[in-house]
Amino acid sequence: MKSEMRVLHMYGDMLDLYGDSGNMEVLRYRCGKRGIMCQVDGYSLGGELPDLSKYDLIYIGGGADLEQQHISADLLRCKEAIKKAYEGGTFLFLICGGYQLMGKYYRDADGNEIPGLGLFDYYTVAPASRRKRCISNIVVRTKFADVVGFENHGGQTQGVKTPLGEVLFGNGNCSKSQYEGYFEENVIATYMHGPCLSKNPELADYMIGYCLGRDGSPEPLAQLDDTLEKKCRQVMLDRLLKK
Amino acid sequence: MNRILIFIGKAIVGVLRLLGRNAGNLPGIILWHLTRGRCCKMFKVDCPIIAVTGTNGKTSVTNCVAQLFKQSGKTIIINKEGNNLDTGICSLLLRYCDGAGRVKADYLILETDESHVPVVYSQLKLETLIVLNFFRDQLDRNGEMETLIQKINGFCKTFEGNLILNGDDPNTARLGRANPNNKNVRYFRAEPYAFATKEIFEASEGRFCPFCGEALEYDFYQYSHIGRFHCPKCSFGDYQPYVTASKIDLEKPVFTVEGHEYSPKLNSIYNVYNMTAVAAAAKLYGIKQEVTDKVISKYTVNNGRMENFLLGDRKTTLNLAKNPVGANMTLRVMNEMNGEKELLFVLNDNVADGLDVSWIWDINFSIFERVTRVVTSGTRAYDIAVRIKCSGYDQEKIVVRPDLDKAVEELAKTPGRKFVIANYTAVQPTRSALKRYIAKHGGEQIEK
Repeated sequence: MKSEMRVLHMYGDMLDLYGDSGNMEVLRYRCGKRGIMCQVDGYSLGGELPDLSKYDLIYIGGGADLEQQHISADLLRCKEAIKKAYEGGTFLFLICGGYQLMGKYYRDADGNEIPGLGLFDYYTVAPASRRKRCISNIVVRTKFADVVGFENHGGQTQGVKTPLGEVLFGNGNCSKSQYEGYFEENVIATYMHGPCLSKNPELADYMIGYCLGRDGSPEPLAQLDDTLEKKCRQVMLDRLLKK
Repeated sequence: MNRILIFIGKAIVGVLRLLGRNAGNLPGIILWHLTRGRCCKMFKVDCPIIAVTGTNGKTSVTNCVAQLFKQSGKTIIINKEGNNLDTGICSLLLRYCDGAGRVKADYLILETDESHVPVVYSQLKLETLIVLNFFRDQLDRNGEMETLIQKINGFCKTFEGNLILNGDDPNTARLGRANPNNKNVRYFRAEPYAFATKEIFEASEGRFCPFCGEALEYDFYQYSHIGRFHCPKCSFGDYQPYVTASKIDLEKPVFTVEGHEYSPKLNSIYNVYNMTAVAAAAKLYGIKQEVTDKVISKYTVNNGRMENFLLGDRKTTLNLAKNPVGANMTLRVMNEMNGEKELLFVLNDNVADGLDVSWIWDINFSIFERVTRVVTSGTRAYDIAVRIKCSGYDQEKIVVRPDLDKAVEELAKTPGRKFVIANYTAVQPTRSALKRYIAKHGGEQIEK
């Protein structure tokens, strides 16, 4: 198993809603506790695009419509590089806007279509009324655990064939929908902010384990004391799922 | 029709009074329904209206501007904190109007919620709008930041009254371009203070020019995204300031505006900006220097904003933090202080707080210095505990006590200096818990 992972956090200065950058803090923290080196590099507008294949994980957070418009042209410029990295096994961790922009397109409330990278088949349409938003705490049953987050998105994402999990509380990919997010072995895409990893250490550890096992010799990660994280999540599960 | 509505409204206020209840928002809410959302339209206000809006500091600036006029011998009407939506303002005017809806005073000074500025002032004629700042605050209630700014910008496009804007906040300064025909746009700003930085220190909004999309350049940041900015491409940010705060020394604390030195009671850069906005209003309305001086030097707050208590003999400072900027300011004050200290952080997620608590991840906890223990409390006590833990703080030193009384007992158990940060709905219960502790174990609330 590898002893270090390299992460590229794209557009962290622009796409950072609801503590999304905190996900990087959680990854670094959980690696640090285990003596794993976790190097997080940044890339944003105007910077020089590094060789993406060098990275074990690429992370893109969520932003407001305006910010998404600003970065979309630049992101398209990175299309081939991201695609190549993804096909080479780099993990893609995508929240909200980052999730949407990897699909075919995102059509905003004014009808402007922002082309996506088309890595995946799904597409996203925001309703004409800006008031219609999916704003809620959310509980999703994933294969890792019942996870908790906070969603706030206008966009309705359709055409997802392999969701991250089943919605137990909240909206998910569309208003009041059954499923949330998008999942592949090396992709977690979700609307969950919070930040997503803060209360859901299983997701963080899955990604860390995946990245370290890329050399072909995966091993279980050392257990950490997650008492606070698990209690934190349990408080929300008890509150939201209470019938 | 108006008379009937006013009659109904006044009747509700009267009944509530008879029941011994404060009228609050309820009459406004009922009239809002009766008027299909145009509940402020039925009033006839002949005097000038001055509105104060922005994310942080509304209450302070509204109170001070009101004092400027009051101490100049004018009759004023002012709304209390919390009643700053259209329904709250409607309830307020119901109390003061006559049967025909006529409101008599020299000035109306109204704290107005950011998202309600266009709603209220499409119904009431506004003379002056003071815009303090726009930060991430309860985003889930207001929708995204940009939507909020767009709403107010839309209002400003046709507004020809006085616009007093924070020129060091690109989010508010941009409103100055909304109506090119408005000759009454004025900016206030401040020279860098001792803790201003060259690099941005805390997560923030508005890093890009709203007009051309270019990254904004900063000479300095005071806090968050507040500082001297300009757009290298389209010259956004080049304006002639109306008033500038200079020679800021928060140790004393003093600052100078228009050659006059002020000695405020509160020692934060926040307060300097708020009081500079007050000084701008005073200049605009020709308030006498001695009145402005008195208002700015006397102003203090006792609603959980830097309040001091003695828990037994432990000096304790309570501060409200509704958003990362407020919390970061408290952490800075805490850090700039020598010696060991302990922190109690009370975090709620009630409706008025905004259901989401992820803003705590925009607080920079890695700067903790000589913080020997952290107690967390509130409905989201564990969220803030996890947040602080992941910033690298030793989790053995974090104690979670969701029950507030138990949290205060825990905090006061050890000797030394204490700080308490509480968010919006947590601050009053926290004050009460501190007072209960004092009643039981001794101590006092210290007046500034």
